[in-house]
Amino acid sequence: MRRPWDRAKEDLSEELEFHLKMAISERVARGEDPAQARTAALRELGNMPLIEDVTRERWGWMWLENLLRDTRYAVRGFRRNPLFTISVLVTLALGIGSTTAVFSVVDRILFRPLPYANADRIVSLGFVHSLERQEFVMGRFYVEWQKEQTAFSALTAQSTGVHNCDLVEDNPAQLGCISFQANFLPLFGISPFLGRNFLPEEDRPNGPRVVMISYGLWKSHYNSDPNILGRMINVDGHFVRIVGVLPKDFQLPTLETADIVTPFALDPAVQQTVNGGFGYPERVFTRLKPGVSVAQAYAQMKPLFNGDLKRFPPSAKNEVHLSIRTLRDKETQDVRPVAWVLFGFVLAVLLMACTNVAGLMMARGAGRQRELAVRSAIGASRGRLIRQALTEALLLSFAGGLAGLALSQALVMVFVRLAPTGIPFISKAHLDLRIAVFAALLSCLCGLIFGLTAALEKPALAALNAKASMSRSRAFLRRTLVTAQLAVSIILLSGAVLLLRSFANIEQENLGMQTDGVLTMKVALPWWRYNTDQKIMDFYLRLESSLKRLPGTFAVGMATSIPPEAGGSQSFRYSDLQVEGKPPVPPGVGGTVTGRSVTPDYFRALNIPIVRGRNFAEQDRTGGEREAILSRLLAARLFPGEDPIGKRFKSDGFQGHAGMIIVGVADNVKNNGLTDQSDPEMYTLRRNVPSDWSGNRLIVVIHSAMPASAIAPWVRSEVVSIDRTVPVEIEPLNQTISRMADRPRFETTLLGFFALTGLMLAVIGLYGLISFITTQRRHEIGVRMALGATRGNILGLIATDGLRMVGVGLVLGLGTALAVSRMLKSLLFQVSAYDPLTYIVVPLLLSLAALIAILIPARAGMRVDPAVTLRAE
Amino acid sequence: MTESAKYQNRIELLQGTLDMLILQALQRESTHGYAIAQMIRSRSGEVLTVETGSLYPALHRLERQNWVRSEWKLTESKQRAKYYQLTALGRKQLASNHQRWLQLVRAIGAVMEPEVQQ
Repeated sequence: MRRPWDRAKEDLSEELEFHLKMAISERVARGEDPAQARTAALRELGNMPLIEDVTRERWGWMWLENLLRDTRYAVRGFRRNPLFTISVLVTLALGIGSTTAVFSVVDRILFRPLPYANADRIVSLGFVHSLERQEFVMGRFYVEWQKEQTAFSALTAQSTGVHNCDLVEDNPAQLGCISFQANFLPLFGISPFLGRNFLPEEDRPNGPRVVMISYGLWKSHYNSDPNILGRMINVDGHFVRIVGVLPKDFQLPTLETADIVTPFALDPAVQQTVNGGFGYPERVFTRLKPGVSVAQAYAQMKPLFNGDLKRFPPSAKNEVHLSIRTLRDKETQDVRPVAWVLFGFVLAVLLMACTNVAGLMMARGAGRQRELAVRSAIGASRGRLIRQALTEALLLSFAGGLAGLALSQALVMVFVRLAPTGIPFISKAHLDLRIAVFAALLSCLCGLIFGLTAALEKPALAALNAKASMSRSRAFLRRTLVTAQLAVSIILLSGAVLLLRSFANIEQENLGMQTDGVLTMKVALPWWRYNTDQKIMDFYLRLESSLKRLPGTFAVGMATSIPPEAGGSQSFRYSDLQVEGKPPVPPGVGGTVTGRSVTPDYFRALNIPIVRGRNFAEQDRTGGEREAILSRLLAARLFPGEDPIGKRFKSDGFQGHAGMIIVGVADNVKNNGLTDQSDPEMYTLRRNVPSDWSGNRLIVVIHSAMPASAIAPWVRSEVVSIDRTVPVEIEPLNQTISRMADRPRFETTLLGFFALTGLMLAVIGLYGLISFITTQRRHEIGVRMALGATRGNILGLIATDGLRMVGVGLVLGLGTALAVSRMLKSLLFQVSAYDPLTYIVVPLLLSLAALIAILIPARAGMRVDPAVTLRAE
Repeated sequence: MTESAKYQNRIELLQGTLDMLILQALQRESTHGYAIAQMIRSRSGEVLTVETGSLYPALHRLERQNWVRSEWKLTESKQRAKYYQLTALGRKQLASNHQRWLQLVRAIGAVMEPEVQQ
């Protein structure tokens, strides 16, 4: 194909050729010898290609021609050296891809602003104690604080949690409802998407019944009806008017999702009287006054809090604390350690990618010294050489960047899929282009800088006849980089292996109960219809007897919660227990006791052995006595060296009880999540007394011979036959348990992935360096072999070189890993941060990988044929 | 300094003057690059030598600026050569260059030899 500029170029050559001819013929005409004339004329003319180059530049479109030619050269060069090209591309793709993906996930947790105006000035304020670590304020104190506090410009309250509510209409739905005050949205700087916020007169007891609905509900249930405002809907049997639709990205500060918001309608008078004069608990959010820090706010609130403390029963005084923290802290505190660790991993991998690209570019530069020297000698200007190097680097970066972007997009999708619920914001994670560009720029910059240094150096004349060689300082730099990579890789690997071990421990955790063949069913009765304890008890007792009749059923138990979940609201303090005939335990001592109110078959359904005494019996349900079963841990704690059976005790937590009698001791179960230390546990019998059944949520445990998939529809139809409007969630227990391990699984997968990426990068780096050195030393190897060195000697020669780097890397890496592994502590379960096995396995693993990376190029070196290399000189 | 830069600089130094000299050489008739160089050399009494490395870049630039036009013709000795010819725009440019140059010479002369002026 003839390009337009080829014609122009030929013209230019011809023009100069003519000039030369004229100069020669004139010299000949003057009587010079033709050969001499030609030499003289040529000398006078100067460097012809250079003149052509400079002249062509005047044409103005040279750059395009150059670009195309440089690209062609570059692609040709890449094809000739596929190993180099693939290494750089893989490195860039891994570096950019994984960095971008993880950063996109972590970014929201660590750095992104919350979706509120001046979010850093919003704080969560309230009491915390050992059973409730999220701030709450009792209504009475909230009313007082509103009047007396000085640190905040505004306070607002939200109900403690989303509760189920029913939308009653032709198309019924169970929704999540919550309430907040009229000043809630203004405090967060949010205005409704449609309609308006609550008016002050609506946010009062017995005010007009109005609601705001979520964007999601508006869209899905009402088809984005623009005339929704003013519509009356029936929520839990009451007609309410829709006055507003919340914005699409609205997010409750508690990260819960609610479909319907009602006015909080705080009644100060009621708060003084209900709940023992404390008022109802609520979540309180405030805006700091300008110039007031969180610490100052704490100091200003402390006297008020101390005053409130006087009202608490003595046993609670030491337990309750004041807590003020920024909203971000509240929302992200428990994921932050893992987010930071991930962030560290990301940075390490990115740096490794950079050093790898740099190392590869340096090697390529060194390998091309000769080529550059030749091209410079035949007239290539420095600018041209640099431009060429630049084109290559940019081309590689571009391709690597594209591959990286594709990889990161895929990874983000995988992460979001893998991620357990409960990691805030993760579902909102998406590929962050800013980060992608940043990662790409950084890695490309590395490539560019190191690629250019080779081209910028004035090609030495010596390079023309010498073999390609790397200057000593640069060789040292590359070795250092590779050693550092190996060290970093050790750190990443140790972290990942520690997490893996911890995860294995979690998986193998003895739960103290059986999970196979056990089905759980969560039942949530619509409270506005099941508004008395009697109705609730009737429903559950009917359900129990009908489930027991299902074929293949061994046992049907009911409880407020099942392990390894904690008892929740039924938990109480150890010091609340008062054993008859024993001195009371001082308040605040002994931690938490998990409480569960169960039916007699609970233990059989979960196969929790009764190790002493007896199980609850059917007739206990109707008897006058209140029976309790203790866990082995609690029994040993309360009655060391005694038989607890038949002993009686009272509990502050169960007010008005006449006292309980201990009938049995059950074996311990995991009852504080999968990873936390188990608490002592007390089971109380759910008797056929309505007050024992108060609360509308219950979990039914069914142990059946039938597979879960077969029995689940039957179970569901039994519920429907009693009340078809009751929503249930049915799930095999081992699935529930496995979901609880999602979080550690996610963390382990993520960090494991990074460690492997890091290992791969380090190995690529090592491999690249060793094969480069081997190629460089071909001549030397040839000489050695000619002088009688065996292949073994050669192998040793090359391998020693590599192994020395591995050795130094191992020592440095292990030292650093041991020093920094403390940071992982909060993520580890039953594995010490100094786990010996980990620190044995990891170096072995790395050494193995490194050995392969060394041996492949070393073998190539071994096969050098001295006759060929020596003749090549 | 690299070689390429050396050429560039020389063009830079001579820029205005070289352009003017070339345009002047083409004022009577169209001719090829070699003849232009020779003409400048002989008319200047062998004082001004135009390097090939300056001449051709300059010619090509002038052509791009539409001050000269080129075409391939046969010389008297029947050889193909690229002939350059002044355009109307080039003539105007030459006139203004000439004018400016005269001003410059007068001004420099006045500075260097004030007594002659008086």
